Amino acid sequence: MEDASRPFYLWRHLNKVRWVILSLVFALLIVIPVLHLYQTYVAAHAYDLLAPSEKRLYDIVEFATSPFISDPANDLDAIKGNTWSGHFWGLQVSDPLAVVSQIAAGLSLYWPFILTALIPLVLTIILGRFFCSWLCPATLIYELNSNLAAWLKWAGLKLPSFQFDRRFKYGVLAIGLVLSSLAGSVLIATIYPPAIIGRELYFVIASGGFGVGIIIFIVTLLFDLLVARRGFCRYLCPGGALYSLLGRYRLVRIRRIVENCNDCAKCNVVCEFGLDPLRDDFGQECTNCAACMAICPTEAMTFILRLSDYPAQGPGHLGKQYQPEGEVDLGAAAE
Amino acid sequence: MKRRHLLRLLTYGATLLGFSALPYGVSRLLAPAENKPSDRAIKLFTRRQDRREYLRPPGALKNDVDFIAACIGCVLCGEVCPPRCIKFHVRDGGGKVNTPYINPSQTGCILCNKCMEVCPTEALTVTKRQNINMGIARIDQTACYPWVDKGICGACVSICPLGKSAIAYKHWNQYQPIVKDGCVGCGLCVEVCPHPSLPIWIADRKAYSPAEKKKLL
Repeated sequence: MEDASRPFYLWRHLNKVRWVILSLVFALLIVIPVLHLYQTYVAAHAYDLLAPSEKRLYDIVEFATSPFISDPANDLDAIKGNTWSGHFWGLQVSDPLAVVSQIAAGLSLYWPFILTALIPLVLTIILGRFFCSWLCPATLIYELNSNLAAWLKWAGLKLPSFQFDRRFKYGVLAIGLVLSSLAGSVLIATIYPPAIIGRELYFVIASGGFGVGIIIFIVTLLFDLLVARRGFCRYLCPGGALYSLLGRYRLVRIRRIVENCNDCAKCNVVCEFGLDPLRDDFGQECTNCAACMAICPTEAMTFILRLSDYPAQGPGHLGKQYQPEGEVDLGAAAE
Repeated sequence: MKRRHLLRLLTYGATLLGFSALPYGVSRLLAPAENKPSDRAIKLFTRRQDRREYLRPPGALKNDVDFIAACIGCVLCGEVCPPRCIKFHVRDGGGKVNTPYINPSQTGCILCNKCMEVCPTEALTVTKRQNINMGIARIDQTACYPWVDKGICGACVSICPLGKSAIAYKHWNQYQPIVKDGCVGCGLCVEVCPHPSLPIWIADRKAYSPAEKKKLL
């Protein structure tokens, strides 16, 4: 094993960082409505009229925020919104899918809104489908759901795992946009899990109960559990389709270091999106989630800056199939 | 071989269509009772047929079809609303699902402009307080307490954020309210009205005919 081709030693810990970020995003989507409730209590000047549970919430939030802000009714407006469209200290950031579907629904361009998607758009072109695995609040629940499926399998339950065509989601995106423009309403927002999560958490905390979205989200969870692993993100998500298309020529990619690889195929098992890192097949669906880097026992996964996938390198040099002379390449023959 | 291919294609297409229509169907199924056609027909023949239960937030696009097309259903306007008057069509109404509304009989708008400033789209645009058009208040003079000589009230006049240009007493020493043209339809008067059947309500501005105006204003 050469030392020269080792990946940067912190990259195998990126997966933990990713889980922390996902948890933080989800926690933020809970904290923002709670802070909003507190703001409304402050604005109403009616502490004495609050119910005991509301008084407790008021006291806790006041204790937590009073060292940092002086005017809760206005200062706490700094961070508002969700991943569908958010507002951070005056900077408005929107999902590119929101812009696309709004254009489809109204058939008109409104530049102040289109420009809010500029930052995510540039990041997606550079990093590919990174939103799906690093920021999406639904991903946290979907990955926990995948873990549940793994535990159920370990417990002896037979869960079917169907494979579909991954290009299916482009059809969902196209049909969703067409239906949006026919109905004159942003219908994609009702089936797009991150938008659903952000909205429904606000509805249930501050606006009196869940809406329709939670039913659709539970249906997708059951689809993932009972039909195909991570099936919604792989085969149906319109946002994933859009980011896959935008990130087709992304700059940051994952590459297998063939000298370190021993063909254990753990990367293929751990990959939530059903890709084939073992045979250098990432494609536009890879989300740069770094799960394969974390699980690789021989440190054979690294990042590269490249506009296309690294060409297929054959079996790993530490595996049984590898023949140094390269007379008969079984991996290539199988393909 | 070919038939199997065709069958699979048909199944895929049917699944796709069904999936895409899911939000439409589910929201139709869960529509609350007051939106059913039969109730709408009954409402049509009542006296206060122009009463609007669902006002759009201030600064909304005039045409509701344009508003539904422009609103992306991020709940930012609700998240900044200090009195929490902006609610959302969460379980009703196909195309308008996730769009905001204000029900003035629950909570009225305080015209703080926060929702217009935060809205990322053109659905809510920043508007001067005098130019906001959510509707206009109307008063049923056969039910309002001062109008039928059942005591003094004046709640609607004293709460109005726009003052004398919007609502005022008919005579300076009688508490009979009349609505002026400056009313923007914020609905605070509806919220505070103590009468159980709410003889003050918000109507569309265009619903005013000159004859009605003479009778009701």
